[in-house]
Amino acid sequence: MSYVFYPGCSLDSTARDFRLSTEAVARALGLDLPELPDWTCCGSTAAHQSDPLLALALPAKNLLAASGRTVAVCCAACYSQLKTANHRIAAAPEARAQVAGVLGADYDGSTPVKHVLEIMRDDVGLGEIARRVRAPLTGLRVAAYYGCLLVRPPDVVRFDDPENPTLLDNVLAAAGAEPVEWSHKTECCGASCSITKVEIVERLAREILTMARDSGADCIATACPLCQLNLDMRQRDIEARSGDRLGLPVLYFTQLLGLALGLKPRELGLGSLMVDPMPVLASKGIVAGRGLAVAASVSVRGQA
Amino acid sequence: MTTAARALVPAPVALDGFLREVEAASGARAVLCLQCQKCTSGCPVAAQADIKPHELVRLVQLGARDEVLASRMIWECTSCQTCWTRCPEAVDLPAMIDALRRLSRSTGKVTPETAVPVFNDIFLGTVRQMGRMYELGLMAAFKLRTRSFRRDFDKLPAMLRKGKLPLLPPWVRGRSERARLFRRARQLGSEKR
Repeated sequence: MSYVFYPGCSLDSTARDFRLSTEAVARALGLDLPELPDWTCCGSTAAHQSDPLLALALPAKNLLAASGRTVAVCCAACYSQLKTANHRIAAAPEARAQVAGVLGADYDGSTPVKHVLEIMRDDVGLGEIARRVRAPLTGLRVAAYYGCLLVRPPDVVRFDDPENPTLLDNVLAAAGAEPVEWSHKTECCGASCSITKVEIVERLAREILTMARDSGADCIATACPLCQLNLDMRQRDIEARSGDRLGLPVLYFTQLLGLALGLKPRELGLGSLMVDPMPVLASKGIVAGRGLAVAASVSVRGQA
Repeated sequence: MTTAARALVPAPVALDGFLREVEAASGARAVLCLQCQKCTSGCPVAAQADIKPHELVRLVQLGARDEVLASRMIWECTSCQTCWTRCPEAVDLPAMIDALRRLSRSTGKVTPETAVPVFNDIFLGTVRQMGRMYELGLMAAFKLRTRSFRRDFDKLPAMLRKGKLPLLPPWVRGRSERARLFRRARQLGSEKR
């Protein structure tokens, strides 16, 4: 299958490690992910809250530029915007006509959009991933966190079960990890309030982090740059305010999968996470102890 | 009238002007709401909200225009889509709330307790100009407009050191084409409304 990669804004900034690890994993699996040239922002929450037509036109501009190739996405918010635009444009002729009026070109809503997790499942195959694992994540208990926009609204995204999704759990299991049963797989982290009302985000993130820890997880795996940022960057503030020690690394699933495929921590950007994952990974024998902590700090300096 | 008392008022038989307006602007069939409260049960922000999701729908049905448009809830909703996913009548609350946000702004009813409209304007202005998000510029502009300089400032050094906040803005080609796209979207959108 032929893909074109739509990284989205976060993957060039706060989630550059998601991009690094996604591209490293894609190379290791023989997937070609050329970047869509001159892609523009999907409009995210600001667009759908402000202007419904803009919220269709911005994604449609990118989907049209993909010229029929499957658009590969990492960010759950981009994924939601692109899938919603496809859904509305394909279902409502008047929406399609309006978008054509804005873009000056007709778009029929048919460009396929896939999250990298779906690509792992449908096009690479979980069996193939398991076959390629060289350093299984044995003994690592992971809370698979899906958040909102990958799974909801189900009729639009058609990703997995909206209440108890298992795709991320299955990918982690294929990498040899042990997904934990837990209650907060699809609870909201409050990302859309991350700048405008931090209190909401801290309360929601605390619930998610606490439930993951109490379910016996060593770390959390995410598939969304906004979820990762909230759970990782805000964890120290949450600990300080609640007096409850969490110390839970929050990794992109591509970082964990990359380790299992035999890639180095530096190639996966592990050094740019806020909560250091190295102690947990070393305690499970997934990375060597001291040597890799040095490699991680080197990679931090290299990226700065 | 308390919210509990309002819930006892029979649903309006004829469509009230406000209900019709919100339904037309959002495509959400608010009239179908059964007040089962599944939306509120699953809502991540309902516990702290001034108006809970099922109450919001009820107030729209009853035509309580000013109360709804001046509420905090329409700005604190995280657009997580849980309410709509679980609603037995498939009332698209997220779309309804998006429409209420626009209506709140266009009628000057926005509560002073929210900074969301300021954030959205800066965000979309950045996209129009540059094509993509520029986090440092967005944060600086937001802090200037809202005078919230200290919030999250402590995270800046680590984010910069880890390369998570690029210093340079991401200029994407096609600026005049984007300006046209934004202008056309506003024109065509208002023709429809």
